[in-house]
Amino acid sequence: MRKAEARVAIAGAQLVSSLVRSLGIGEGAALPGRLLIRLYPGVISELSKSLPAVLISGTNAKTTTTALTKEALSGSFNVTSNTTGANMDTGIAFSLTTRKGTTAGKDLAVFEVDEAYLPDIGSKLETKIVALLNLSRDQLDRVSETRMTASKWSSFFQKNPHITVVANCDDPLVVFAAQSASEVLWVSAGLNFFQDAYSCPVCGGEIDFSDSGWRCTCGFSRPLADIEVSGNTVSVFGKGIEMNLSLPGQCNVANSAIALGVCQVLEVDLDSAARRMSSISEVAGRYKRVSIDGHEVRMLLSKNPAGWVEVFDMVGDDSSVVVAINAQTADGKDPSWLWDVPFELLRGKEVFASGERAYDLSVRLHYAEVSHRVEKDSLEALRACGAKDVSFVGNYTSFQQLRNRLQGNNGSLVSFIRRLGNRVLG
Amino acid sequence: MREKIKVVSVLPNLLGTYGDSGNAVVVSKRLALRGFKVDLVRADLKSGVPTDADFYLIGGGEDGPQARAAEFLAIGSPLERALDKGAALLAVCAGFQILGRSFIGPDMEPRDGIGVFGCRTHRFEGPRSVGELIVDPGDAMPGVPMLTGYENHQGITELLDGTRPLGVVRTGNGNNFGPRVDGGVIGRAIGTYMHGPVLARNPKFCDYFLSLVIGQVDPIRDVALENSHDRLYFERINQVLKD
Repeated sequence: MRKAEARVAIAGAQLVSSLVRSLGIGEGAALPGRLLIRLYPGVISELSKSLPAVLISGTNAKTTTTALTKEALSGSFNVTSNTTGANMDTGIAFSLTTRKGTTAGKDLAVFEVDEAYLPDIGSKLETKIVALLNLSRDQLDRVSETRMTASKWSSFFQKNPHITVVANCDDPLVVFAAQSASEVLWVSAGLNFFQDAYSCPVCGGEIDFSDSGWRCTCGFSRPLADIEVSGNTVSVFGKGIEMNLSLPGQCNVANSAIALGVCQVLEVDLDSAARRMSSISEVAGRYKRVSIDGHEVRMLLSKNPAGWVEVFDMVGDDSSVVVAINAQTADGKDPSWLWDVPFELLRGKEVFASGERAYDLSVRLHYAEVSHRVEKDSLEALRACGAKDVSFVGNYTSFQQLRNRLQGNNGSLVSFIRRLGNRVLG
Repeated sequence: MREKIKVVSVLPNLLGTYGDSGNAVVVSKRLALRGFKVDLVRADLKSGVPTDADFYLIGGGEDGPQARAAEFLAIGSPLERALDKGAALLAVCAGFQILGRSFIGPDMEPRDGIGVFGCRTHRFEGPRSVGELIVDPGDAMPGVPMLTGYENHQGITELLDGTRPLGVVRTGNGNNFGPRVDGGVIGRAIGTYMHGPVLARNPKFCDYFLSLVIGQVDPIRDVALENSHDRLYFERINQVLKD
């Protein structure tokens, strides 16, 4: 493609993006990214020349870990990142048009990448580091089963021996994929959902988990950790780093340990990286408290059983909880996974079943013996809560819907323009 | 208190990917609400599968764990022995496939199944069957209306002599072989491709399944619970038939 045409394509995508944002109908990355790839198919490879990339992938905590890593590295690099969570080829293509700086040795991309897209996107970028968080069931109607994903990651690392992997050694599927890489930094970032990890990815046997790690009879076992977490302290090759995060939950200390692993590979000062990370108090609208008609609502996003384990930790003392479940394409169209979530932990709280699939959730809550009310409209459910401090937990689209409404945006207009955009672009 | 009933969730650590372990929860609770004392057992590779239970539930999973489960369940034939003693069994997706005469292993080669159901599962070369599945059981199960669930599989299942289908497919693919049918039924063993979990989506089907062992089932007096089931059932049926 000639330079002039490329510039027109980029300008067009940026125009659409600012239009989307000024109308308040979205973050303005996925749709313009789609337009951009359509007009300029080689865009990802072209715009990422001489831009070393750090990719962060896994089922859960991609957006948060990307935000932490970006912040940790920003003292040392001009960082380009997809902070809005648009993590497929379209979102990354658009992020590259916002590339910061052109100083050799100072520029860096930090991208969260959808687990299914990792090999493809990783091959197009100048990938230097890949951080692997975890792998568990999510959107099984779209993403392959976890073992298939792990195998695809594994062959990607075999073909790209120059990549250094920062990997969670507590997750057997992550270890299975990462051990094909020529260089790995192992982080003990924890595993809170075991259901997808029992079956050994090497031999098909059953993995034995104990406090000291995990092991299969075939010999496949947990590698020794280079980085460990204990309370608020992250120990990197024995050097203790105190984390004072503003983000809630033990899982975010583990996410910051992964970010420190990336910093270690890039030889960034760990103490100043830790200080920078402590300033983050929200990520794409998540974690923060918002005021809604006298209620202080903690906004939480959780889209699968593993994510829910972390949410129970963050809901904490809030005595009212609104759970909103949708089953659109971005959520996965089959909400059967609700039966793998230990909702029994919500017993004793005031609970609302909400969202487009509130009825699926309501049946599940009955069997968990959690007394609850059904109100499909999340905002109405929040208003009806008895307590001042409320937790809202949505899966992907139900979270975005509430966020849009709180920002005064018209939900049906948003979905209309999305549908229109998708239809025009085929 | 009525007699004690034993319910077994069969190898949920291997075949638990699609939320089907909810079926064992629904079976146990609907027995408990009727006054039975319920012992719910999660059978794994270490504990083995008991043969003295009343209900067996086995679910869907990934290819590798599926093959491992088939190898394990072939040893000592615990499920066939339990069925011979009068137990009832519900098998979903990968669990249904391995209980047939053959299924496809992770290497894409056919493998021997347990042979409870007279069926063979082959690999479908077309697109994966993913989406809402509605199955009409006709008059085969008294009091059981149209069934709703969600399918997600690559198999095509050929029914052979002795095993009849669970019902006729109205929406979706089901067995995806020959006439449009889903699942298989032989004696007190029922197989299907419906996740959801299928018994949470279809409480009357659950009660029919219970009746195979305990005989006539009384209505459940927990009105809120039954209303939640009705709302979900009719929402799914209406939504899917409308689309």
